[in-house]
Amino acid sequence: MSLEASNSSGGGGSQVALVTGGYDHTIKLWQAHSGVCLRTMQHPDSQVNALEITPSGQMVAACGYQHIRMYDLQSANPDPVMNFEGVTKNVSRVGFHEDGKWMYTGGEDCTARIWDPRAGRQLQCQRIFQVPAPVNAVVLHPDQTQIMVGDQSGIIHVWDLRTDKNDQLIPEAEASIQDIAIAPEGKLMAAVNNKGNCYVWTLDGTPPRPVPRRQLLAHNKYALRCKFSHDSTMLVTTSGDCSAKLWRTSDWSLLRELRHDTQRWVWDAAFSIDSRYLFTGSSDSYARLWDVEKGTLEREYCGHQKPITALAFKDHAV
Amino acid sequence: MATYDNKIWLLKNIREAFIATDDTGLCEIVMAGEDFSKLFQNKALEDKKRIREGQLSQPSTSRVKEGMGDISEDDDEKEIVTQFDPYPDMEDSEEEYGSSYLRYEEFGGHRQRSNTAQWLDKKEQALKKAAKIKVIKWDDSSTQLSTEQIAEIFTRSEVKKPENKKSLLAEQMEKCPDLPHRQYLEYAKFDGTAQMGLPVKSFKIFMTMLPEKHQNYPLVVCVIANAKIKDLIGFTCYKYSIEHPEISLGSVHNYGLCIAEDDGEVDWAFPCLDINEPCSKFGFTCLGLVELKNKHVFAHAPLSIPEESMLEVFPKAGESGQSHQNPSRQHTGGSATSEAVRKAINAVNQERKVAESELDKIQSHLNATDAPQYKTYRVHLLRKVRTNTLVQLGISLERIEVEPLVAHKHQFWSRSKYFRLNIDSVAWCQILEARANKTTFRLVYSPSNSNYYCDPNNSGGTSFFPPSTVYKIYDFECEHEMAREIVDKINTILDLRNSPCRREYKTSKEKKTQTRRSFQTRHLS
Repeated sequence: MSLEASNSSGGGGSQVALVTGGYDHTIKLWQAHSGVCLRTMQHPDSQVNALEITPSGQMVAACGYQHIRMYDLQSANPDPVMNFEGVTKNVSRVGFHEDGKWMYTGGEDCTARIWDPRAGRQLQCQRIFQVPAPVNAVVLHPDQTQIMVGDQSGIIHVWDLRTDKNDQLIPEAEASIQDIAIAPEGKLMAAVNNKGNCYVWTLDGTPPRPVPRRQLLAHNKYALRCKFSHDSTMLVTTSGDCSAKLWRTSDWSLLRELRHDTQRWVWDAAFSIDSRYLFTGSSDSYARLWDVEKGTLEREYCGHQKPITALAFKDHAV
Repeated sequence: MATYDNKIWLLKNIREAFIATDDTGLCEIVMAGEDFSKLFQNKALEDKKRIREGQLSQPSTSRVKEGMGDISEDDDEKEIVTQFDPYPDMEDSEEEYGSSYLRYEEFGGHRQRSNTAQWLDKKEQALKKAAKIKVIKWDDSSTQLSTEQIAEIFTRSEVKKPENKKSLLAEQMEKCPDLPHRQYLEYAKFDGTAQMGLPVKSFKIFMTMLPEKHQNYPLVVCVIANAKIKDLIGFTCYKYSIEHPEISLGSVHNYGLCIAEDDGEVDWAFPCLDINEPCSKFGFTCLGLVELKNKHVFAHAPLSIPEESMLEVFPKAGESGQSHQNPSRQHTGGSATSEAVRKAINAVNQERKVAESELDKIQSHLNATDAPQYKTYRVHLLRKVRTNTLVQLGISLERIEVEPLVAHKHQFWSRSKYFRLNIDSVAWCQILEARANKTTFRLVYSPSNSNYYCDPNNSGGTSFFPPSTVYKIYDFECEHEMAREIVDKINTILDLRNSPCRREYKTSKEKKTQTRRSFQTRHLS
């Protein structure tokens, strides 16, 4: 069973999908433009640490304590269709190869892993990468051969999948790396830490080598996520200071600060494909849609009983 | 309890309490095979057996006893004490350790299905569910990939510069600018169909306030059980406006929920359900959503002046025809207020916030001079057993009057009457507690002290301070600002009058605090 089974058929998989999950052990699928909750899926026994929609848009992967579960977005099934297990601790991040050939995760068991979702095949591509501290962030370079692994001791490990060699970056001593992002063009990398600082590198060469470029005092509290917009012109950082901040990648100036009276910790964010809109998910159990240019709140998504800690958005180009 | 030091009994009891009170059955699954009380019992038996066999195999020592007559095996066994024996001198009969925890349902007429049967059912369901889920386990034994394999699987792909795309989301957003349900969005979280592990409750709701053609079918709504009636109203509006975006509903404050028949006929003999009660409290499943202006009963609390943001969220609030209660000090009257007026009030409120500090000084002076003037307020009289009633509280230098504002034609159980208190019988007035949008304040008075009269059954009055002077209380509730004003006003008047009743109350109160303080210091030293 390939993750890309429905790739050719397109169908429902090509639609716009907003998925949120959090502490209330549910995952919700929303109609993004109206704000109506379409479905609620069950994520038993654990909070949702991260969500990622498969490249085909057919499924969403949710990682939590000891499990990575995959839900079919096209059916009405409230239960997962696949369950990846065998990890002893929290799985903090999940992501996919651009064609869905394999899945990568990072977790508090101090590992980054590559999973073969087509289990039972002759050729398995299962791999494991051990680091000395619990892993908070993993991200795949768009060239599909390097995985950046950020751990709680503050080290970013550059894991080359082809050579199995690895390099280390230590942007700030004794500050836990909370999230890493690589711009879709593959030329920029950003990482945020628990001090609220954001570090930026340029990536040059083949294979790409990170060169320190910039430090941003992004937030004065715990930073939680960072993400580049699809056109690589913006970086969003979210934080425990109840805000999401948008930075221009051209000169690293602050473009906009997104706050709301009731908004609390902002755990996750996602851009629309035209970089015009930004979704955020917060501890006040609301997800929000912002117009980036105007800085206005366009939609709110209410339905979760507890904080939203993860969201995933899949847009469709027209 | 005498058996508290019995390890087996305790283990068994705790285990059974967990299993019996856990409706999900998870406890039983988790603890399956871990019945330690049984394990201990079995171990104790085994040990005894082993020890006894050991003794039997040592004829020289055990046979000595033969001469002293028959020692029964039972006696023998009793004397053997093992480390697993929790309670050496207790008979280990099944009754002793038997079910000590009974589930209350089992006391009823017919017995529930056994825990085992339920557990088996749950297990079967879980298995069925699990069969549909493909489980992929991390395989630690899998062999290392060869360099060729790695090169084959982990190929480098060319990074393309993403072209500028037009987003489907943006297109949909443009096509769908109007969101009728957005004003009720905050109620979406009460949706009972989208929860996991939370108790829910379903209602059939007839939209009686809509034109007849829309009333044919009830709206079935399912909310989480601890949602309040006002949340149920809000969620009903939310759900209805999603399903029927062409019909515009008013503000949730305009609606109440009444008991209805199966056919949607509202039972007007009963008042609207109290909007602050959880809906799990009510057994009715058929309810009618009614517009409050058509009702004789005033079932909701007065609204405070909406802030600017509120005006946006509830754009129709002003035009509904429902009279808004504006309990701010400028507008105790309560008439339908136009948008412009409310904006003006907002502006005034804003200014007041800014100039608060200066105003405070002037205010205290004004209070003193204004206090004796007769003034009325709309507040809720709180009652212990019955519903709270909206009353007009009139305060003057002479007396405090309480006049119910609603003609309770149908509320036969809460016929409250006009009553008044001589100001000299009032001993104390203070704010009790301030909650999110309401403040409760208390009036202490002495019924023996004056020519006061009130409704014959002394509604709400609870006596305390026995036995010398009997004091009674009335509790009221209203919006913060007003409560503070009322309490200030009454206290100013009370201080002006300084009646014997007030002096007496004050003295007794002081005495009480002193005793408490001396008691504390004694204990601390």
